[in-house]
Amino acid sequence: MKTFRRALYASISAWQNFWRNLAVSVAAVVSIALILVLAGIGLLLGHALGQVLDSYQQRVSVLTISVADDTPLGTVYDFEDQLRARPDVVSVRFISKDEELRNFASDPRNQQLIQQVEGNPLPAKIEVRVARLDDVKRIDAVARQWRGADRNDPTDYRGDIISNMLRLSTWLTIGGLVMLGILLVVSVVIVMNTIRTAVYHRRQEIELMKLVGATEWFVRGPFVVEGVMTGVIAAALAVGLLLAVYRPFVERFQAELFFLPLSYDPRFVPVLAQDLLVAGAALGAVGAYVSVRRFVRL
Amino acid sequence: MIAPEGYERPVISFQRVWKTYPNGTDALRDICLTVPEGDFVFLVGASGAGKSSLIRLLIREEKPTEGRLLVHGHDLGRLGRRHLPYFRRKVGLVFQDFKLLPRMTVHENVAFALHALGESRRVIARETDLALETVGLAERARNYPTELSGGEQQRVAIARALVHRPRLVIADEPTGNLDPETAWDVTQILASINADGVTIVMATHNREIVDAMRQRVVALERGEIIRDHRYARYDEDFQASALRIH
Repeated sequence: MKTFRRALYASISAWQNFWRNLAVSVAAVVSIALILVLAGIGLLLGHALGQVLDSYQQRVSVLTISVADDTPLGTVYDFEDQLRARPDVVSVRFISKDEELRNFASDPRNQQLIQQVEGNPLPAKIEVRVARLDDVKRIDAVARQWRGADRNDPTDYRGDIISNMLRLSTWLTIGGLVMLGILLVVSVVIVMNTIRTAVYHRRQEIELMKLVGATEWFVRGPFVVEGVMTGVIAAALAVGLLLAVYRPFVERFQAELFFLPLSYDPRFVPVLAQDLLVAGAALGAVGAYVSVRRFVRL
Repeated sequence: MIAPEGYERPVISFQRVWKTYPNGTDALRDICLTVPEGDFVFLVGASGAGKSSLIRLLIREEKPTEGRLLVHGHDLGRLGRRHLPYFRRKVGLVFQDFKLLPRMTVHENVAFALHALGESRRVIARETDLALETVGLAERARNYPTELSGGEQQRVAIARALVHRPRLVIADEPTGNLDPETAWDVTQILASINADGVTIVMATHNREIVDAMRQRVVALERGEIIRDHRYARYDEDFQASALRIH
């Protein structure tokens, strides 16, 4: 019961102190909100880059194997089954010579060429979608050893593009993590200093709490709750601001740079809001806990 | 050990206590002092005599460098951080500068101490009203400290020190910022609390009050106890001064 009363007192005190020290509270909210806006921009950029990268990866993670004309259909089906059994393969699709010719003919750019061609010179194909980009090389090696593969041009594997893509993806991940780390350190320092100012204003209150026999947690509680409150309000502000500009910005970007596969993703909005709210609450709580520590120690 | 006779249960017991600060200054030297339950003790002495250091040790803001200090049976030199709040709940503190929180009302300032103990709202309301009645400030409960006179502010501070019903009240120069009449009123409140059996230790420079109260007087000089007499005056033994008069 006493624990509940203390928690209730911490919440009420936090709410009262937030409004009683409004100027300092507003300063803390604004600084945390700015940090979260930066973090949110980072998340949105990361998501957009991820979208672009994903779309390219989707394209290059499909390996097309050309089938030699004299390969019996049974051999092709056996090889298909063998591929499907692999854990690194997502899907396998056989495209017959006729289907390949129809696809070729349906492209308007090939109209002249198709009139000059007699019979069907196009090979049948097997399209293999792999789970991960770095699995393509392994499937390519398997395909080249398969006796049914076309000897002249067995696959459309482009190792250089894939390795560049993988390198880009790795560097983007490292860059993102480094940026996140820097942002985290900077934000904790800023938040700590802002909250420390608020705590310093109330050092007499803390001193008194200790003298009347308050435990360290009783003193710290209202500050931590207030930190969480400040962080959540700041996060709500940041989310509101980011959502207001996200869609118009993406639409403008799409109009200017139409060749990049970037689009407004409504599914990312709740993810962004949740991440920023959690980050705001955590920043506020950790900032308050650390800032108040020096003053609270008995 | 300089101590009057007839003690039963000591609330405070200094046993050869030294306090040496990091710069090498001996603020307290070989202090031996026992205060039984229900005593009213004035700590007197010039500035720098060691009164504040002694008070800081009593509320465990500092630890003794040497010796043993027992308050309510707690060995303050060995008291861990975790147990400190529970010790402080047994003591009421009054300061020269009142230490009231300006953004809280009189009622909130007094109730504050009970919130720290996790008391229910009903108990907090009842005990706070009672403490404010004891110091004669029930009608000022909704005022803010800045709306009160110095004497009233000190009475609020006394109410806060009393609200959790401690058996020991330590007052550090409680009349230092007050005019003589208000200082006397505040001392009378402390005396009435003492009459209920609460032990009072009051550090003061106020000669008139000490002389008028005729209580136990412990005089400090350069960190040492130079006198400890009952029914005494500020700077000499009452009996000695009485002999001179006759």
